[in-house]
Amino acid sequence: MWNEGCVLLMGCSAPFSLKAFLQMCNLPVRVVCRANAEYMSPSGKVPFIHVGNQVVSELGPIVQFVKAKGHSLSDGLDEVQKAEMKAYMELVNNMLLTAELYLQWCDDVTVEEITHPRYGSPYPWPLNRILAYQKQWEIRRKMKAIGWAGKSLEQVLEDVDQCCQALSQRLGTQPYFFNKQPTELDALVFGHLFTILTTQLTTDELSEKVKNYGNLTAFCRRIEQQYFEGHDKDNSGTAAPRSAKRSLLR
Amino acid sequence: VCEIMDEVMRKSHEAREKLLRLGIFRQVEVLIDTCQGDDALPNGLDVTFEVTELRRLTGSYNTMVGNNEGSMVLGLKFPNLFGRAEKVTFQFSYGTKETSYGLSFFKPQPGNFERNFSVNLYKVTGQFPWSSLRETDRGISTELNFPIWKTNHTLKWEGVWRELGCLARTASFSVREESGHSLKSSLSHAMVIDSRNSTILPKRGALLKINQELAGYTGGDMRFLKEDFEFQLNKQLLWDLVFSASLWGGMLVPIGDKPSSIADRFYLGGPTSVRGFSMYSIGPQNEGDYLGGDAYWAGGLHLYTPLPFRPGRGGFGDLFRTHFFLNAGNLCNLNYGGGPRAHLQKLAEYIRWSYGAGIVLRLGNIARLELNYCFPMGVQSGDRICDGVQFGAGIRFL
Repeated sequence: MWNEGCVLLMGCSAPFSLKAFLQMCNLPVRVVCRANAEYMSPSGKVPFIHVGNQVVSELGPIVQFVKAKGHSLSDGLDEVQKAEMKAYMELVNNMLLTAELYLQWCDDVTVEEITHPRYGSPYPWPLNRILAYQKQWEIRRKMKAIGWAGKSLEQVLEDVDQCCQALSQRLGTQPYFFNKQPTELDALVFGHLFTILTTQLTTDELSEKVKNYGNLTAFCRRIEQQYFEGHDKDNSGTAAPRSAKRSLLR
Repeated sequence: VCEIMDEVMRKSHEAREKLLRLGIFRQVEVLIDTCQGDDALPNGLDVTFEVTELRRLTGSYNTMVGNNEGSMVLGLKFPNLFGRAEKVTFQFSYGTKETSYGLSFFKPQPGNFERNFSVNLYKVTGQFPWSSLRETDRGISTELNFPIWKTNHTLKWEGVWRELGCLARTASFSVREESGHSLKSSLSHAMVIDSRNSTILPKRGALLKINQELAGYTGGDMRFLKEDFEFQLNKQLLWDLVFSASLWGGMLVPIGDKPSSIADRFYLGGPTSVRGFSMYSIGPQNEGDYLGGDAYWAGGLHLYTPLPFRPGRGGFGDLFRTHFFLNAGNLCNLNYGGGPRAHLQKLAEYIRWSYGAGIVLRLGNIARLELNYCFPMGVQSGDRICDGVQFGAGIRFL
């Protein structure tokens, strides 16, 4: 699994979602961190997997690819449940993912202090500034296209809160979102919530919103314990040392 | 008196050549007459240069059509910006696939045109199907040219923002790994000694070009030392036969632990290099994409003759030549942990070579076309060959 340098791409949930998904499927995975992973990917997005001669990027296509190879987590669900799962995944992608991008690239304080230096750090001057600004324009243009450019930070936090409320209600007291087995939805939600809870930002407001829902934090801790503890020895980061190991279990 | 007249005529011809070379006059006429007027010297001569200047700003507009791509090219030129033959040229190409542009400022030293300096700003894109690679370079360079005795030297600093990408989804993983951005800041020096009578199809003389480039000590993240040379010798034998020998070579040494980039490495093979092989299709490759090598050498021996039975003699036929050639070369990487002796050994084993014959057409004084029948030999697994008829067009041939 190829990912942007672990220390560098803060606040990106997709790699954690993918890793959780692959661990849940019991598929062995080796993580490689590279500064140019974004450009290596055929669709321009990380993470991507390199299996034999094939390269597949983004969680959706990877789930399909893995399904075609005979591994699937959602086989036990009926049609109604599958539709419900898709709906929740859409909700998470539309709300949480966009909120993360907003906070990273549209909140001026975060952009100046954290995002620009982190994004540009593998490159020499002046390339670090040029690439960071290029990425910022691209994200802001996308935000404008979906109507988020006009939102204020409070509104974004409100949206995150509503999304977490929906997820918390669906989860209830169950261990996973559907029955007792994890599905892609669990992997996806874990990835996002884990990122929000462990990423250093200028304010703690985002992670506080998630912490308000006890069952969601318990869910994250459970998944981390079950699938990530003891698996860390298999990882190899080539470019960036994992100086800040993330964990909810402190 | 005749000798003096000859001397005057020779010197004024030289002066006229120099004035034309400045590139600021459309026409230069020389008038030599006996002195006239009140302050005339007895037996004196008046030499008058009548010049017509070029327009202050010239422009050009072309459309170009290539492989599945069309583009519009706009050019602007100030041939004499501040009055001392400074030139500013701007070229912009807008195409269906890529756009590129270039702005350059050129200033010769007054009275000494051979010494000049230029600054260039550019964006160029290139597609290299033999490597499934796409490259976009945005850069700035400054260059200083000056002659020392019989040699011409160029000192250059260049800063390039290089973006590499895959040309197709089926690009090999080795090429995919090289995608991304990098910044190269390099100093280079080139020396040229050219005593040939012509650049294309010379009859006599020799050429030696030595080029070195050091990247990384003035910024950027690419660090390497690159050397390459080109040598050519021509000799006219009996009956309009011309014998020509050429030798090229180069080496790229990365400094530090970062490996060399696919965009800096050398490539071998093709109608302008070792004939009989496909374009740049010799050497290290991965899934059909050629990755280039850190060191190479290539040599050629040619025999040029006029066309048999000399059709069109004195006119069009003089632009053609038949030629018989023998080409050889090798390309390899240096990152396997051996020393210089091991490198030389590696370059000497598995030599690719080819021989054949063909027809060469000279285009002006810049380019040539070739149509050859080739027999490639020493082919290694992974090389792509083009045995039989091969067509080539270019300005620099092995």
